[in-house]
Amino acid sequence: MNKNTSRKIWEHPWGYAEGFIVAAGVLLSGILLQFAAGNIETALFASPVNTIVGALFVAGLLAVHFLSGKSRVVRWLSSVYATIPALVILLILAMILGILPQFAAGTEKGQLPPHPFTSLGWYQMTTSWPFVLLCFYNLSILGLTTLRRTTRKQTWREIGFYLNHLGLFIALLGGILGSADMERLTMTIREGQVEWRGNLKTGEIKELPLAIQLDTFMIEEYEPKLVIIENETGKMLPASRPESYMFEGIGKTTQLAGVTLEITDYLPHAAIFRDSTFMNVVPMMMEGATTAIKVKADKPGLAQPVEGWVSNGSYLFPHIFLQIDEETSVAMPVQEVKKYSSHVTAFTESGITKEAVIEVNKPLQVEDWMIYQYSYDDTKGKYSDTSVFELVRDPWLKVVYTGIFMLLAGALFLFIAGPKKKAS
Amino acid sequence: MTWDSFIYFAVSAVVLWGSGAALAYGSKRKLWPALLTTLGLIVFSIFIAGLWMSLERPPLRTMGETRLWYSFFLPVAGLLTYLRWNYKWILSFTTVLSTVFIIVNIVKPDIHNKVLMPALQSPWFAPHVIIYMFSYAILGAATLVAIYYLVREKKIKNKAHLMEMTDSLVYAGIACITLGMLIGAIWAKIAWGHYWSWDPKETWAAATWMGYLLYIHYRLKKSSSDKTSMILLIIAFILLQVCWYGVNYLPSAQQSIHTYSS
Ligand code: HEM
Repeated sequence: MNKNTSRKIWEHPWGYAEGFIVAAGVLLSGILLQFAAGNIETALFASPVNTIVGALFVAGLLAVHFLSGKSRVVRWLSSVYATIPALVILLILAMILGILPQFAAGTEKGQLPPHPFTSLGWYQMTTSWPFVLLCFYNLSILGLTTLRRTTRKQTWREIGFYLNHLGLFIALLGGILGSADMERLTMTIREGQVEWRGNLKTGEIKELPLAIQLDTFMIEEYEPKLVIIENETGKMLPASRPESYMFEGIGKTTQLAGVTLEITDYLPHAAIFRDSTFMNVVPMMMEGATTAIKVKADKPGLAQPVEGWVSNGSYLFPHIFLQIDEETSVAMPVQEVKKYSSHVTAFTESGITKEAVIEVNKPLQVEDWMIYQYSYDDTKGKYSDTSVFELVRDPWLKVVYTGIFMLLAGALFLFIAGPKKKAS
Repeated sequence: MTWDSFIYFAVSAVVLWGSGAALAYGSKRKLWPALLTTLGLIVFSIFIAGLWMSLERPPLRTMGETRLWYSFFLPVAGLLTYLRWNYKWILSFTTVLSTVFIIVNIVKPDIHNKVLMPALQSPWFAPHVIIYMFSYAILGAATLVAIYYLVREKKIKNKAHLMEMTDSLVYAGIACITLGMLIGAIWAKIAWGHYWSWDPKETWAAATWMGYLLYIHYRLKKSSSDKTSMILLIIAFILLQVCWYGVNYLPSAQQSIHTYSS
């Protein structure tokens, strides 16, 4: 791999071979630390430890850069010969991370698979020593490369280089260190109630410096769909590629899995009454009402079309199917949610009141907390009067965003400038 | 416009792209190949626009819908490469690959309906997926070049020119991958509360990105081997395939929130 083949290993100038040995050394140290200490406990690095670690790391890189003089090792460390092996090993760890199922950081040892991979930290890769050390090794190369680049004659191409490399350095370092300070809790609130306590993933309850009042909670659903199912298994037909028909209005007809369906009536809010012999479907404008569609179904081989109501039920009423023949029926799956939104009033300790609507993709920011629409009471479906929020605080977000926006600009630069012309 | 009319638009587009690609071999002038390819793209985009309107949401949700964009962007990448780098064969390569994806979509059609889950209802959704599909197409073109190189290594006359073209494709491709990934991160912060969660799909996106970073850094050294560079490109493209749909079949996938639904 190295053009200078007469060179012995460790003889300067170093190349890829030394790069792989050093990167493998970092990996090995990580594995030994993993055996000795187990996974890294993120909480130990919470503020101010992470700030100190970050400052020391950056100071260390600056010191190495300014004090190393003409050191060939440091020069090598900020070259492609160190970069490629470092990236290759990190890539291999990333692939393992992408293949194996991962377990949350707090998982008890006993609940992890009894497998040698567990002691290597592979089931909790992102907090394992090898992975984190490899990240920092890459960060060191990235930092030293950026610093060394400043000593060279500066051209317009340097802009792209700094945006990409410094941007990545800032985003990565901020992301790794900031993860220790990130707080995420869920908060479950019923309509009309106020809540200021959140639940941590571990089940602990934590009081927050802000309170949320849920004024109203609303769910909007898509139009109901009809499907043909196999009576015996309940599977949707055709088995290879299930078809469905979304309601478009009374009077429409459609073909579904070989059955002709005609929509003859529709009740968006219906009540269903039935006993062993008799079923009645009537309009009902009340909570708990279900959706019902009346269909006429026909199919080759049927003496005459069958007609009747189909409904997906609710917590008050049962599902109803329309049986076409021995094998098949018409059914209505549960409607998909189009949108759910919470009208809330948020209060802070400093006396600020904020009224807002929170939806998925539309979080609310209150001081340094972001409040997300997370879930609702799915046992009651669209009649849920309970909304679940996720509250997130990430004090390092500004750092990471600085890096991300530099990288965005760097990517645009790369797109426009393209590769450097090689002197031929 | 519904999915049923896809076959008519697809066949017309493929015929136009194919004739453009064939004409590219015969003539020095680029006018006709470019014109025919563009016409094919217009036909194809009319279908995408029609499908978008009838679904009342961007057609980017299902696997088949992303394949649709991929078959659109491949000839775009081919055309740009042809105009800029003068390689006659690139248009036929991208046409063939695009046709493969069109055939997959015809033989194995998806279920298309209007449903779009709330997390996907975001102004970031369309740019995120479209930029990614565009970068996949450019990097697909680069992979075709790599295969061409590895198969015909001994017969290629001007290797430097070919490598220069490959570098340009990869730079444009990785720029778009980076944009797609960062847009995804910003969106994830807004939709899920965190910009990066090491979800399997995200992890493989990072792995793919590292694969192409390896290529561009390796190429910086004048002493680097062309063959190794091309092999790196093929490895990176395999990582990309895992990221696109391969993740769905991995043990880690049970936890993913980003698998395409259909
Ligand atoms: C956002 C991701 C990255 C991009 C887009 C990127 C892109 C580039 C480009 C385009 C160059 C050539 C610059 C020029 O000569 O104009 C370069 C050089 C270099 N990069 Fe990266 N890079 C990235 C990440 C990294 C990482 C993670 C490392 C190290 C771990 C690294 C190490 C290097 C080194 C050592 C050079 C050679 C610098 C020199 O010779 O002055 N890069 N990079």
